[in-house]
Amino acid sequence: MTVPVVAKIGALVLVTTGFYTYIGQLVPQNEVQPPEEIAISADITTAEMVEIGREIATGKGLCMTCHTIGQTGALRFPDLSGVAGRATTRVPGMSAVEYFAQSLYEPDSYIVEGFSPGMPVINVPPIGLTDEEILAVIAYLQSLGGTPTVTLQTAHTYYTPENAEPPAEEVAPGDAPPAAAPPTPGIAPDAPPAQEATP
Amino acid sequence: MTNTVMNTVRKAVKNRKLQVLLGPVVAIVMFAGAVQMASLLMSGEYRSPARAPLETVDQTPRVAGLADEAEDAAAEAQTTLYEEAEYRTFPVVGSRVAIWVVAQLHLLFAAFVLAVPIFAFIIEVIGYKTGDPRYDKLAHEFTRLLSVSFSLTATLGAFLTFMLIILYPQFTNYLMSVFSFTFLPYVLLFFAEAFFLYTYYYGWGKFHPLVHLGLGLGLNLVGTGIMLIANAWLTFMTSPAGISESGAMISTWDAVNNFTWMPINIHRVIANVCFGGSIAAAYAAFKFLQAETDEERAHYDWMGYIGNFIAIIAFLPLPFAGYWLASEIYAYSQTLGLTMMGGAFSWLFIIQAVLIGSLFLAANYYLWLGMGRIQGNQSLQKYIKYLLIAIAACFMIWATPRSIIATVAELRAMGGATHPILGFLGVMSAKNTAVNILILTTFMSFILYRRTGKVATVQWAKTGYAVQLAIFAAAAIFVIFLGIYGYFVEASVRIGLSVPQVGSVLLAMVSIAVIDVFLFRKASTAEVHWGRIPAVSQYALIFIAVTFTWLMGLMGYVRSGLRQHWHVYGVIRDNSVDAFTPTLGFATQVVSVAVLIFFVLIGVVFWITGLHDRPDRALAPAPQRETHTGGQVVLGGAATAHQTSAATEMRGVSAQDIEGRTKLS
Repeated sequence: MTVPVVAKIGALVLVTTGFYTYIGQLVPQNEVQPPEEIAISADITTAEMVEIGREIATGKGLCMTCHTIGQTGALRFPDLSGVAGRATTRVPGMSAVEYFAQSLYEPDSYIVEGFSPGMPVINVPPIGLTDEEILAVIAYLQSLGGTPTVTLQTAHTYYTPENAEPPAEEVAPGDAPPAAAPPTPGIAPDAPPAQEATP
Repeated sequence: MTNTVMNTVRKAVKNRKLQVLLGPVVAIVMFAGAVQMASLLMSGEYRSPARAPLETVDQTPRVAGLADEAEDAAAEAQTTLYEEAEYRTFPVVGSRVAIWVVAQLHLLFAAFVLAVPIFAFIIEVIGYKTGDPRYDKLAHEFTRLLSVSFSLTATLGAFLTFMLIILYPQFTNYLMSVFSFTFLPYVLLFFAEAFFLYTYYYGWGKFHPLVHLGLGLGLNLVGTGIMLIANAWLTFMTSPAGISESGAMISTWDAVNNFTWMPINIHRVIANVCFGGSIAAAYAAFKFLQAETDEERAHYDWMGYIGNFIAIIAFLPLPFAGYWLASEIYAYSQTLGLTMMGGAFSWLFIIQAVLIGSLFLAANYYLWLGMGRIQGNQSLQKYIKYLLIAIAACFMIWATPRSIIATVAELRAMGGATHPILGFLGVMSAKNTAVNILILTTFMSFILYRRTGKVATVQWAKTGYAVQLAIFAAAAIFVIFLGIYGYFVEASVRIGLSVPQVGSVLLAMVSIAVIDVFLFRKASTAEVHWGRIPAVSQYALIFIAVTFTWLMGLMGYVRSGLRQHWHVYGVIRDNSVDAFTPTLGFATQVVSVAVLIFFVLIGVVFWITGLHDRPDRALAPAPQRETHTGGQVVLGGAATAHQTSAATEMRGVSAQDIEGRTKLS
């Protein structure tokens, strides 16, 4: 029996598309949901903020799309393991909270040596974290090699909540106190504090 | 008498033809009866059999009650306030899949309609410059596919527009407000496209050649203009620019000239030519397989070769255009770039690697089979096995994932998600190297095909061969060196290495090709037996066309899906039920459905185009009765002869024309 050419071509088209569809089923199947809004109550503790901050960093904040934790080698963006310790020493005189805040609100202000700019501003779309959510992320970052101190009342350069409390300063041992910090080159003495960036 | 009637009825009942005919009639009668019965029952007043107490019974006559209810409903409807819907739903498959499939079909046909005039025009120019009528006829045959495809493209485009307005009204309204100034030029260009296309096709042979070429040029310019406008809309969705944080328009030009607009323009022009060439080659393969004469086979073998040649030549620089597009996506947003290459869509590129590897293998296989139609092919065929090894090795490296899908036990045995050896091949350093070598190898495969049966007669032939080989080796070594070097440097340096890799491959291809042209300028050439190629080669062409189509569907998905839960990235959020990013498995299923529908539709295009070859029934003599002549059966000979001659005349090319051809294009 001779199979018509059209039937052979039809079978070839079906088998080819079927093969590629099958390949598509072999790879990991992840359905990515839109980020959910996270409710942050006013009386939340620092420990709870760390947990919420971790959720945001791995979800809505998309931090782990670029950053890693505990990886070494030729990385595209800085690894966040132990970042709390480094944050106090990145820019002399700048607290970890201020450093993290600037990294999130103005990421291009300070680029860690060996890396290129590229981190998006976190408080505007498409990521668009709220000020409270950013505080939670800062608490989480503080937990990576340090002791979290942030609460929802913590104020920093970019956000002053109602009932704000001054940030608990963390300065690495051996660092000069903020008042004695030398001016950053290129920044006038009366300019705002030297702004750092990417963790 | 009674028995006769009974027998007749009995026979009638057993008659299958009658059963088939009467079955639907009986069903229709029964359906009509049921409807009539229901209407009759519904028209009567309801009477409770239990007779409720008089005081509980509504005394309003039923008809009056119904009228009151209708009046109340109408009054309530009048008080309803207008509210613009954010979304509407499409039944069964949902809005996203419906839009997805229609948009994909529209884009596939649009790509074909934009691509065919490009190479038809180029082939016509070659025919005009060389004075060889075969090229002119070939260009004409390519454009025959355009007419029906153009109508389908326009229909699907209108369908897509209506679907967007109905299903995503607010988002569509926003896009229309941002790009309102582009719609009038778009419509005018569309009219111009229709004018140029139909005058180009129907005016074949009716104008001075230069006037006709002018029409072809106009068709291409207008088509490109249409594509540029449409690309502005879709690239704006991925990398919006020229607007405020709230989405208000600031600069119309910036909105058009956003980060990904020009890379997409370039990428699409090249990809369209690839795709159009492959579909035209598939058409030729389809006709080749159905051909009944050597003349037809020779013609369609040649046509398929040209179509595939166009597809593969355009395909070689396509990955480089892809690099540029990806780098612009990174430049716009590192998050978007990393989502594409390292996040939700990273595994999609493993599927892409399988597709492109299949394309390269099939394209090379077709070239190697094609060597068989040239006399004196034995000397070069021995190199094919080395090319095959190189291609297979590159394919395997490119398709190696960074993270292996493994069980917990396997992960423990490997010491992590990354395989200790294969993991090194799953990174971009190795993959960039593999794809560059793959392109270089395919190019060399074509060079071997090109010189099959030729003997260079220039005095510097040996030096020329040595220089070509040296360039090839130097490019390959340089690409591999940079690939290894990439493992030892920072990411920012590593990303930059792809530029010299690509540059060296392009330089090698151009310089080898230029030397080859001069090397074989006055070469003695062997005869090419067009049509003498195994039928499996034609299935390879169809496979290439299906794979190109599927690849376009897949890459269309990643370009669009990259935005994830945004209609316009960072500006208009997707709040619909389809805001999530589906699994790759689901995406591939949708792509396959779109591809299958496309091939059904393109089959219709081929069929309608093929009607052109058939003889006019009014002109054809009536079929003669079968006549036995010396034991042989002869069918309506006049009709067959007419059909064959008509087909040959239509193509305007004879087997002698093609058989006598001694030079490869």
